[in-house]
Amino acid sequence: MAIYALRKLAFFLGAVFVASLAIFLLIRGAGGNVAAIVLGKDATADAINALAHTYGLDRPLPVQYFDWIVNMLHGDLGQSFRTKESVADLVTARLSVSIPLALSGLILGLIIAIPVGTYAARNVGKPSGAVLALISQIGIAVPVFWAGILLSVLFGVKLGWLPTGGWIDWDESPVGAIRSLVLPVLSLGLIMAAVLIRYVRSAVLDVMNQDYVRTARAVGMTRTQALLQVGLRNAALPIVTIVGLQIAELIGGTVIIEMVFSLPGLSRMILANVAAREVIVVQSTVMLIIVFVIFVNFVVDLLYGVLDPRIRNAA
Amino acid sequence: MQTNSARPAIEVRDLVVGNGDVTAVRGVSFTIPQGGRMGLVGESGSGKSMTALALMGLLPMGWSTRGSILHDGVDLVTQSDRALSSRRGRTLSMVFQDPLSSLNPVRRVGDQISSVIRRHTGADKRTAEAQTVELMKQMNLPRAEQLVRAYPHEISGGQRQRIMIAMALACYPQLIIADEPTTALDVTVQKQVLRLLNGAVRDRGSALLMITHDLPIIAAMCDTVAVMYAGRIVEIGPVQEVFRNPRHHYTRGLLDSQPTMDNIALDGSSRLVSIPGMVPPLHALPTGCAFNPRCPAATDKCREQMPELGAEALRAACWHPLAKVGEVAAQ
Amino acid sequence: MTDIAATAPIAPKKRRRLSLNATLVVGIVLTIGFLVVALVSFFWLPSNPNIPVIKNRMLPPFLPDHWLGTDGLGRDIVAQLMVGARTSILVGAGGATVSLILGTITGLIAAAYGKLADETISRGADIMLSIPGMVTALVLAATMGSGALTTIFALTAFFTPSFTRVIRSAAMSVLQEDFITSAKLYGRGKLFILARHVIPNIAGVMIVQFTLYFAAGILTEAGLSYLGVGVTRPSISWGMMLNEAQQTVGISSPLAIWPGLAIVLVVLGLNLLGDGLRDVLDPKLKRRS
Repeated sequence: MAIYALRKLAFFLGAVFVASLAIFLLIRGAGGNVAAIVLGKDATADAINALAHTYGLDRPLPVQYFDWIVNMLHGDLGQSFRTKESVADLVTARLSVSIPLALSGLILGLIIAIPVGTYAARNVGKPSGAVLALISQIGIAVPVFWAGILLSVLFGVKLGWLPTGGWIDWDESPVGAIRSLVLPVLSLGLIMAAVLIRYVRSAVLDVMNQDYVRTARAVGMTRTQALLQVGLRNAALPIVTIVGLQIAELIGGTVIIEMVFSLPGLSRMILANVAAREVIVVQSTVMLIIVFVIFVNFVVDLLYGVLDPRIRNAA
Repeated sequence: MQTNSARPAIEVRDLVVGNGDVTAVRGVSFTIPQGGRMGLVGESGSGKSMTALALMGLLPMGWSTRGSILHDGVDLVTQSDRALSSRRGRTLSMVFQDPLSSLNPVRRVGDQISSVIRRHTGADKRTAEAQTVELMKQMNLPRAEQLVRAYPHEISGGQRQRIMIAMALACYPQLIIADEPTTALDVTVQKQVLRLLNGAVRDRGSALLMITHDLPIIAAMCDTVAVMYAGRIVEIGPVQEVFRNPRHHYTRGLLDSQPTMDNIALDGSSRLVSIPGMVPPLHALPTGCAFNPRCPAATDKCREQMPELGAEALRAACWHPLAKVGEVAAQ
Repeated sequence: MTDIAATAPIAPKKRRRLSLNATLVVGIVLTIGFLVVALVSFFWLPSNPNIPVIKNRMLPPFLPDHWLGTDGLGRDIVAQLMVGARTSILVGAGGATVSLILGTITGLIAAAYGKLADETISRGADIMLSIPGMVTALVLAATMGSGALTTIFALTAFFTPSFTRVIRSAAMSVLQEDFITSAKLYGRGKLFILARHVIPNIAGVMIVQFTLYFAAGILTEAGLSYLGVGVTRPSISWGMMLNEAQQTVGISSPLAIWPGLAIVLVVLGLNLLGDGLRDVLDPKLKRRS
């Protein structure tokens, strides 16, 4: 297990390094002169040079990259050119929206997908199984923002049960905050569920046909016991992998859903800073998100090692 | 439940197994007495594994059973999955072909055995674990105290099959079904595992239903043999009788196609015979005797009427049986 | 064991062949309808989808001149949807095509040119897969400016590693076949074997993968355009229409229905087509369902 974990850690660090290099080159290399981008078309050459000099943007790229990484490791993510706010503060302020949203969306997706997918697998060839497969197919085709729009029309406009958008902070009213999150979480969770149901269904189907499930029954379990006690434990392996791969999708969905419901989360901050050409803010925030996703995948890999003795030992 | 020594370990009557489209087992009857040992031979697709799974109530989704399977005073065909599950592993159990795929890959082998004991005897964790170690020692597994903590992928194929056998025998079942238990193993290990299974079954006084296409195994381990072809038993009788004087042409063919030291000539002039043709698909069986297209002695009668097994101990479902009892088969 | 394998699947198979045909047929019908609409839009549109006509603002659906009504600036919905179909094809198929080409090249190299190439490419693909596509697209929009080309570029970065992985493993299983060994014994070069034997044998996988990512591309493009970092006018995207509907007239108008419905039908059609093709073209990938 230790060797396996070390290998995965090495991959994690390597991935973070490659990703940071890619982002840096994409933004600094492809984007051209950062100072000119920040100041816009009308800026004079003197103003551009002055800004570049102040922020060290006129130094060679490798030096700037190294600087950026070292500062990030010290917790200094840089600051906004205009408002001088530190990126760390900007990000922290938004996490109280984005994290509950993304996390609850994922959990809701799993809570729906695991029982429904299992049920669909057990009813393959029957009408109920076919209907579930069709519903999940349709769900996969629904863009998450359209699901959000439809839900807010139904529950917000027509029924008036929940706010159609906007945000009440946790400090102000926890109930209000939860109320503003219900529809976004529902949209995100339903769309995640549609994708996950397919994977759960095929994972359970695969496992159900395995010889060891039959053995479990041959030594005294009922069909249902064998499926739940032996089958699901084994189906957990592919499902965990899929959840890891879906984290990137989840972040994408969260970005869009925050826009649909006008939630002041991380993605609105990024979009606003993209529009304001705040290169440093975008660069550091995106890097944070990517590190987070790679980290989740690292944890998933470790979990996989815990769940599956074959993988643990193979390394 | 009181065991009646007169009552057979299992009594199968007119067993039919199908899934609506095809019928894999078409009217099979046999009886295995307490402690008896029956071999079931036949080619792939003859229905022997489906027969075994039907006895266990482990048929795949969509398959169903007709006829009766009397075991331990009940007709298994009429039992619910829940009722059957309380018998599986306790009064009847099964050893499967591939021990690697048949063991749960994410559970320690010791836990897999002890959970069977706990499930059926209600023993507490420590008692069951002690019994597991004891059982594994009986299976000639080395360092049983450490081996209980191993996962299936960490041990050899032969050891895995011993674990499988230990699970099947843990609760002293009345009947053990072994479906090609050594086919997936190395040749050198096969014999050890068979010897172990043989002894363990004998020690427990259990009856054995041995499924294989390997005739010498049957000859060594069983007292009765039933030959299956296209979902029916075509010949059944005492092993020595059937193998010395086969009456059905299919049995004759099977025996002739076995490589033995006699018919493998080192000079390359081997006269290893094979049965011409192929096993017919279940959805396109010929009328009359299912073997007639491949049979050297087939007549119009064989193509029209299905032969039935007789009522004697040594019986063949054939209109033109080869040898009479007592006669020596013509070479 | 052997007996079950030989006899068990007979009944379910029949049932599945029926539903498989339905999958394929519905997929083909929806996809062809989508392509035809996009094609027609080049020759005929009900009216110019980009010119505001103030007197026609917010017309309800089901009028003779405006079948699905008009938006807040009086632009015809049907015309916008038709041009939107064009954008979906351009961006979705564009992204999937470039990804297919890059993925095939990298996948074949990983499969056929040794362990080092395989390790490098596979690990690289793993890293790229763990970067959220939506975030990549935002970064690209910040540096390259938004537009159809940026969106295709983002999709390519997002999809290529998946293509690489799928094509690598398909090619590897073909390369293990006996006829490859015999081709090697005949002295055939690697490129010849890849071109003549491997690619034809993985064509099914490639087509299926292309179809599914065509659909994913349309979904992603709609999302980016909804965020305002995808395509911009005079190009029209269904995602953009939804954004405009929400910004200008509120989400409860029928304007928020039509573009979403269009996306669902097209993506559903392509996904069904892909699944149907997978069952027909690639029996190895068949699920036991």
